[in-house]
Amino acid sequence: MTNLIDIIVPDVGGDEVEVIELCVEIGEAVDAEASIVTVESDKASMDIPCEGAGTIKSLNVKVGDKINQGDILGQMESSAATPVPEAELAPAEAEQETPKAAAPEAPAPVSPKEAATASQGTKTIEVKVPDIGDANDVEIIEMLVAEGDTVEPEDGLITLETDKATMDVPAPEGGKIISLAVKVGDKVSEGSLVLTLEVSGASDAEPTAQSAAAPEPTVVAEAAESPAVQQDTARKAPPVPHHPSAGGKSSTGKVHASPSVRRLAREFGVDLTLVKGSGRKNRVQKEDVQSHVKYELSRPKMNPGSSAGTGSTGGGLQVLAQPNVDFAKFGEVEEVPLTRIQKLSGPNLHRNWVTIPHVTQFDEADITDLETFRKEQNAIAEKRKLGVKITPLVFMMKAVADALKQYPAFNSSLSASGEALVMKKYFHIGIAVETPNGLVVPVVRDVDKKGIMEISKELMEISVKARGGKLKSADMQGSCFTISSLGGIGGTAFTPIVNAPDVAILGVSKSEMKPKWNGKDFEPRLMLPLSLSYDHRVIDGALAARFAVHVSGALSDLRRILL
Amino acid sequence: MSEIKTQLVVLGAGPGGYSAAFRAADLGIDTVIVDVRETLGGVCLNVGCIPSKALLHVAKVIQEAKHLSAHGVTFGEPTFDLDKIRGWKDSVVDQLTKGLSGMSKMRKVKHVQGYGKFTGPNTLEVEGKDGKTTITFDNAIISAGSEPVSLPFIPEDERVIDSTGALEMRDIPGKMLVLGGGIIGLEMGTVYHALGSKIEVVEFLDQLMPAADKDIVKMYMKTIKNKFTTMLETKVVGVEAKDDGLYVTFEGKQAPAEPVRYDRVLVAVGRKPNGSLVAAEKAGVTVTDRGFIDVDKQMRTNVSNIFAIGDLVGQPMLAHKAVHEGHVAAEVIAGKKHYFDPKCIPSVAYTEPEVAWVGLTEKEAKEQGVDYEAATFPWAASGRAIASAATDGLTKLLFEKDSGRLIGGAIIGTNAGEMLGEIGLAIEMGADAEDIALTIHAHPTLNESIGLAAEIFEGSITDMPNPKAKKK
Repeated sequence: MTNLIDIIVPDVGGDEVEVIELCVEIGEAVDAEASIVTVESDKASMDIPCEGAGTIKSLNVKVGDKINQGDILGQMESSAATPVPEAELAPAEAEQETPKAAAPEAPAPVSPKEAATASQGTKTIEVKVPDIGDANDVEIIEMLVAEGDTVEPEDGLITLETDKATMDVPAPEGGKIISLAVKVGDKVSEGSLVLTLEVSGASDAEPTAQSAAAPEPTVVAEAAESPAVQQDTARKAPPVPHHPSAGGKSSTGKVHASPSVRRLAREFGVDLTLVKGSGRKNRVQKEDVQSHVKYELSRPKMNPGSSAGTGSTGGGLQVLAQPNVDFAKFGEVEEVPLTRIQKLSGPNLHRNWVTIPHVTQFDEADITDLETFRKEQNAIAEKRKLGVKITPLVFMMKAVADALKQYPAFNSSLSASGEALVMKKYFHIGIAVETPNGLVVPVVRDVDKKGIMEISKELMEISVKARGGKLKSADMQGSCFTISSLGGIGGTAFTPIVNAPDVAILGVSKSEMKPKWNGKDFEPRLMLPLSLSYDHRVIDGALAARFAVHVSGALSDLRRILL
Repeated sequence: MSEIKTQLVVLGAGPGGYSAAFRAADLGIDTVIVDVRETLGGVCLNVGCIPSKALLHVAKVIQEAKHLSAHGVTFGEPTFDLDKIRGWKDSVVDQLTKGLSGMSKMRKVKHVQGYGKFTGPNTLEVEGKDGKTTITFDNAIISAGSEPVSLPFIPEDERVIDSTGALEMRDIPGKMLVLGGGIIGLEMGTVYHALGSKIEVVEFLDQLMPAADKDIVKMYMKTIKNKFTTMLETKVVGVEAKDDGLYVTFEGKQAPAEPVRYDRVLVAVGRKPNGSLVAAEKAGVTVTDRGFIDVDKQMRTNVSNIFAIGDLVGQPMLAHKAVHEGHVAAEVIAGKKHYFDPKCIPSVAYTEPEVAWVGLTEKEAKEQGVDYEAATFPWAASGRAIASAATDGLTKLLFEKDSGRLIGGAIIGTNAGEMLGEIGLAIEMGADAEDIALTIHAHPTLNESIGLAAEIFEGSITDMPNPKAKKK
């Protein structure tokens, strides 16, 4: 007995997430908890598992789609009479299957038009990686199409990244993608099979191999300009006038616009291939150019700083665009694309930096006694083989949690309207962690309720996870306050950026032995520099000074936390 | 020596130059125009487009009167008063140049007559009849045009003429060789043939009007076969001037074995740009080896305050291209963010019959790998063409196969040049075959053939057998 069940997106921790990988194919038999798709939020990537075992019947999403909790990913035919009860959300990372080279069939929904062209005599060609220079084993960094997609000739299919440049492998002919043979992260060389394409209305006379290998790859100069990114920005739901974007699809020479419209577009530096025409037969009208300009001026930019030279102003701010400098003039250069985390966190940092009025309060804490105590405890822990090492950070977390209790304004967020404060009754603290891919901020929950040992253990686990890129979205949500410690590296002070929706962040620099006046003479004390950045809309300077003094005091004498 | 200080100097008063100057003046820019001639209008008005059209009009009426005898109306043999014909031609030129002069005064565009050369990026020296004038300018537009190419191996002889000489019409030669099968040579050949000269045309390539499509030129060859003798893939290797005529030696596919005597040789092998004649390098402007000046889409040269337009910035060397470029240059100087951004530029040979094309030719479409389909409406199927005794004609439209978008068109036949406008507009507006087919064209007109050609592509033609009928 079989029954069709919908595969529904579970709680993915808030906002919409992007599908970055399809882990199954239609027709594939899957076990319960097998990953269906991998999604990525602005914080982490995670796999979405299916509830029970069965066979995948349809998939409604493709790589690059944005999905929300409750969306239907597709349907599967359950092999059990009754669905297996939902297990706790436990992504089965290890079980993630490698997609097979050939996919059995195209997804169900085919538009009548496509069906019509398909019936007119079709042929199937294998699209292979064309001559890509000397590069072998080039990594696929982006899949621009999914199975069942209809493509035009020259449309990008996959993006390859060599040590020199990123390039798109274009479709040799128009048609429908039957199956994908590769996925993101695969290494390919010239001649590697990319996908199978069903060419519509093709003449049989054309030899397959010839047509498949013909087109040169189009080299994309800047990663930021790759079609996928353009599509991202086009799909982003704008809080602004309707966006007449043609979806980043560049169809050079096929723009349908009269001379007067072309002149207008030139005046505003609008690339007409990016404007969707509202007129008959998609003709671009003057109004389309105008609303495109309005939209471009008001929409949030992916990375306004580096989009200089593309005609945009500085991300909605009335500032000059960055000058377009040809650095190669001054010496040898190399262009390295931003990591995924950098690309994702950049706009957030930029938003926080320009929208939050930051003030940074500097202070220092006498941690001479604390350090003595900590080293004693570590020595004991080692003797007892507890496998835990206490770091100064744990004490800072405790001290901060105590200060948050004392000064609840620091444990708040501005409401969406900006007219109220959301006061939090929990004490979760985010810890900025440096990883090879970029900065992430995992969160330790209920710091006020946990002991030093417990937090130490948790911290160790978290940092292992973070450096391995294994953090889940949930691990990085719900922070009240963030600590960014550079103490292990050096520095005397810095001005951290508030990690909104937090209203404050504590920066910690390297502790140093300093002469301190004890009333009679100078005494060597180990001083820890603290840099407290806060949102001045929520927190007054005096309050911040008190908060800093409180943290400092707690660190100087841990007994104060007990008071 | 006088001195002038101005915001803009335009060097060359052809259609491009005066259009640029007038546009600039209308945009509030203080403008001076410099030209060697006393009159404005350049080659086009004085010794090009316009006077040749006056003579072609005469030729056309002569031919039509002759043809009418076949329909029962017979005139006597025409007699020619060359002075009067020339006088009429001159009066046409006069009327137009006077008009220009009036418009120039109205716009307060100062005309300095003389040969202008740059002396620096902001100075120009004009050597005129009444001495030197130094012009200091903020911006300059170089619109010095082009001149006929002369062949070094041809002796200097008053019987060897170029287009300018042909337009002077000193006499009607008995036998004239037209050296070069391009538009200019064929137009002048048409005029002299109508006035009674025997015309022979020699062309180095395998086709007259090499830029046009083969099927169009084939039809043209058919219509001129009783008028001109043509020698294709043949070149002139020597011209010897003797008392009784010019003896021309040929080489190539259709070359006569012996030198042939002609009363006149019209050299019409092309035009060369005048970019190197204005000392542009003194202003820092780069001129190519061939005399062209490179510009960007705003008509700006490598020197930011100096612009160039017209024949000397590149092919096609056509007045209407220069006019539009002139407007763009003037508007850019006035601070507008305009660009020269046409989809197509029409070409017309005002021969009998006229040959006209715009947008892509089939040749170009093939070269560019465009997937196109041609739809040709033969005028033999047009009621108006038959009634006007103008069945020697074709209207051909090229459509992009996928979209049905019009990408080019060519017409041969009476008034082809006039009809071309619709095709150019349709290309600029991005019209497709359906748009053109659904536009109601007046009946009976020759212009109708454009709508009918679109119907052929659409498969909705009823004035002819419909090859697509069964598939519909």
